[in-house]
Amino acid sequence: MSTPVVMPQMGESIAEGTIVRWIKKVGDTVDRDEPLFEISTDKVDAEIPSPAAGVLMDIAVKEGETVPVNSVVATIGAAGEKLAAAEPGKAGGVAPASPVLPDLPDQPDQPDQPDQPDLSDEGDRQKSSPLVRRIAKEHNVDIGRIHGSGIGGRVTKQDILSFIEGGGTPSIDSRSARPASAPLAQDQPPVFRGAGDQVVPMSVMRKKIAEHMVVSKRTSAHVYSVFEVNYSRVDQIRKAKKEDYERAGARLTFTSFIAKVVVDCLRQHKVINASIDGDNIIYRNDINLGIAVALDNGLIVPVVKAAGEKNTLGLSKAIQDIAERARAKKLNPEEVHGGTFTITNPGNFGAQFGLPIINQPQVAILGVGTIEKRPVVVDDAIGIRLMGFLTLGYDHRLVDGAVADQFMSDVKKGIENFDPAQA
Amino acid sequence: MANEYDVVVIGAGTGGYVAAIRAAQLGLKVAVVEKQSALGGTCLIWGCIPTKALLEHAHALKVAQSAKEWGLTGIDGAGVGIDMVAVHARKDKMVSGLTGGIEMLFKKNKIEWLKGTARLAGKQGVAVTLHDGTTQSLTATKEIIVATGSAPRSVPGIDVDRKTIIFSDEAIHLPYVPKSIAIMGSGAVGVEFASIFKSYGSDVTVIELLPRLVPGEDEAVSTELERTFKKRGIKVMTGSKVTSAKSGAKGVDLEVETAGKSQKLSYDLLLVATGRGPVTEGLGAEAAGLKMDRGYVVVDALFKTNVPGISAIGDVITMGGPHYQLAHVSSMEGILLAERIAGHTVQPINYDHVPRCTYTEPEIGSVGLTEAQARQQGHEVRIGTFPFRALARARMAGETDGFVKIVADKKYDEILGVHIIGPRATELIAEAVMALRMEVTVEELIKTIHAHPTMSEAVGEAAHAAHGAAIHL
Repeated sequence: MSTPVVMPQMGESIAEGTIVRWIKKVGDTVDRDEPLFEISTDKVDAEIPSPAAGVLMDIAVKEGETVPVNSVVATIGAAGEKLAAAEPGKAGGVAPASPVLPDLPDQPDQPDQPDQPDLSDEGDRQKSSPLVRRIAKEHNVDIGRIHGSGIGGRVTKQDILSFIEGGGTPSIDSRSARPASAPLAQDQPPVFRGAGDQVVPMSVMRKKIAEHMVVSKRTSAHVYSVFEVNYSRVDQIRKAKKEDYERAGARLTFTSFIAKVVVDCLRQHKVINASIDGDNIIYRNDINLGIAVALDNGLIVPVVKAAGEKNTLGLSKAIQDIAERARAKKLNPEEVHGGTFTITNPGNFGAQFGLPIINQPQVAILGVGTIEKRPVVVDDAIGIRLMGFLTLGYDHRLVDGAVADQFMSDVKKGIENFDPAQA
Repeated sequence: MANEYDVVVIGAGTGGYVAAIRAAQLGLKVAVVEKQSALGGTCLIWGCIPTKALLEHAHALKVAQSAKEWGLTGIDGAGVGIDMVAVHARKDKMVSGLTGGIEMLFKKNKIEWLKGTARLAGKQGVAVTLHDGTTQSLTATKEIIVATGSAPRSVPGIDVDRKTIIFSDEAIHLPYVPKSIAIMGSGAVGVEFASIFKSYGSDVTVIELLPRLVPGEDEAVSTELERTFKKRGIKVMTGSKVTSAKSGAKGVDLEVETAGKSQKLSYDLLLVATGRGPVTEGLGAEAAGLKMDRGYVVVDALFKTNVPGISAIGDVITMGGPHYQLAHVSSMEGILLAERIAGHTVQPINYDHVPRCTYTEPEIGSVGLTEAQARQQGHEVRIGTFPFRALARARMAGETDGFVKIVADKKYDEILGVHIIGPRATELIAEAVMALRMEVTVEELIKTIHAHPTMSEAVGEAAHAAHGAAIHL
């Protein structure tokens, strides 16, 4: 008995995954739920456990290859089972003892469609050719969307030409809001390489970030508002409540307060917690708060789901949990989807304020600048207060300046007048 | 039942015997009916293989004749001759080694060879008349494969007596070197024999109805072949029609019309190389209900005839138009058909990617569209040509005639065709065939490293030329 291992469907919006690394080799023994391979999907990296105990018989998708979800990527055989012969039907000169092919005695005729690819090759959809890639680049076509009629599902010249002829090509200007794919190097002038320069292929995550950032810039009309906020009050509350939180297994940080206030304000300003879909506006029922987390070689935005239903302690715990698991690559891919508003914290590294790019399909993002003691005017005198800048990046297609500033004004007030009973 | 097989193949040429082996490899029980005394058909017995033997002899002769230039001692260049009896003995030995090899492969794959003729007999039935006069009825439970091939064919008004007016079948076994020979038709067969006989010392005239030699090839190739032929002393009469051919006192008397002017010419021999026609005599194709077109068996892209259970491959088929009559096409068809019968999903052949090889001196290898075809199909054409005279390896070999020509499309940098005339052209074309099949761009070909010093560098250089300029020109 052998068990096929498939590319898991890691989230409803995830159509494909890339095998980043095989943790086990062909021939290795695996236990059920033992990590088998590492994948990278839209945004998340995850280790995928083996669905069965046995021996890894065959790896069908190599490292670095991207396949649609539910494609068979490997086969687990029963312990002790022999490795399958490399290719049935191609066994050397000697006639096999028993026919390798299923005997189809009374099957009247073989199917007429000659270009029907083997189902087993489903996973190799992305095979193409230099010519096809060239045509794809010129027409901004995602080859993965084309049915390949060649051997092993290779997308041939004929396939891509009929795809384009059939109107499959989404041109950038016609529906700029949702480009099917965003080639990174589009119209990019040639890049010179100097002696000693190092050329390193991008990681999957880096490519995705690059793609998402360009898409967002092209999609939204980014505008920014910057507010300066006095954190002295929340700092006092933080010091007073810190130990209570620690006892509860949480850390009370400035982000906890900001998140709580933002959630409350989003409830009042529904247009900030929204999306644009074609000619429609979607006002979100839930507030799902994205928290940008810097990783060693990238960035990820896990989401605190139903943040609107959480108190400050609950938010603190949730943020802490997803941030830790993001750094440990232990996120469930579902946890990076469905955000409705994002908070990012460039101030962590000392920035006075940042001008963050909106995380699509959201319409606004809050950037938290560094929080530090500054001289401020207090009742016609100069005092020292704990201050920081907050930046709202918003999509002017939906959010006008007045609305954004009212939201930010409420956030500022909420932080500066934080009710200790809420903490 | 003793005479029941999965597959019965009629004809053991390159199409039939390859289909049989592939089917057997896939676990099918196979019988082959072949009337000749050896397996291998036209290719092995009268065509590709023996002509290549004659070609190699011609090459050996050429080296010996220019012994002085090569610094060979002990050979008197001027007095070097060729003994056709020895030539044929070596050739026949090679050929029987190869046909015997197929017999071995049949045994190894447990394929039954019935030595006789076959006739289609009802559903799944093949009636075989063995050479000893006995008959056998075979049943093919899965498929009957018609692979009966082709034979040389003349044109109306020219009667081939197989003595002074001959076909390639006779030319290949000619036990002497004719003093003079006229060759009608300048397709691959015609020009190959022209090249061989000229090397052996015959006075050779090629008569072609169309305005240029090898009319199927790119025009530049035709021009280069004509130039080298004339340089070697082969007479070329293009745009000329043989209006009469009669055996005469000293051989054959011809009347040839060129541009409205008729002239009488005499030669020892006339080789008629005007093409090949299908062999279906005695097959009972019509009686079996097979749809035919001008004598060819009509098949679809996966070689099915209109009669369920009967498929056909090779020179005997048509898919609606002219079909390549080439051994390597037949064998690929045989492989695909066997796989189809065994239940594999197979894809039709892309006949635009068939390599065409002509073993003249210099050789010709080509694949894909000619420049004229590409322009006719509306491509914005980009051409890259590189002559062998600029190539170190070609100079060392003393074979500097010819060139590599790449026909590409400007828009996507697609390689549409590659046309090679020159040393090893028939080997060099393999890279181009792969390039077309894999849909390689000219840019990719440029970035492919070609070993130095080799003839194949000319391919890389031609790719460079297509993008502007070759390095060594």
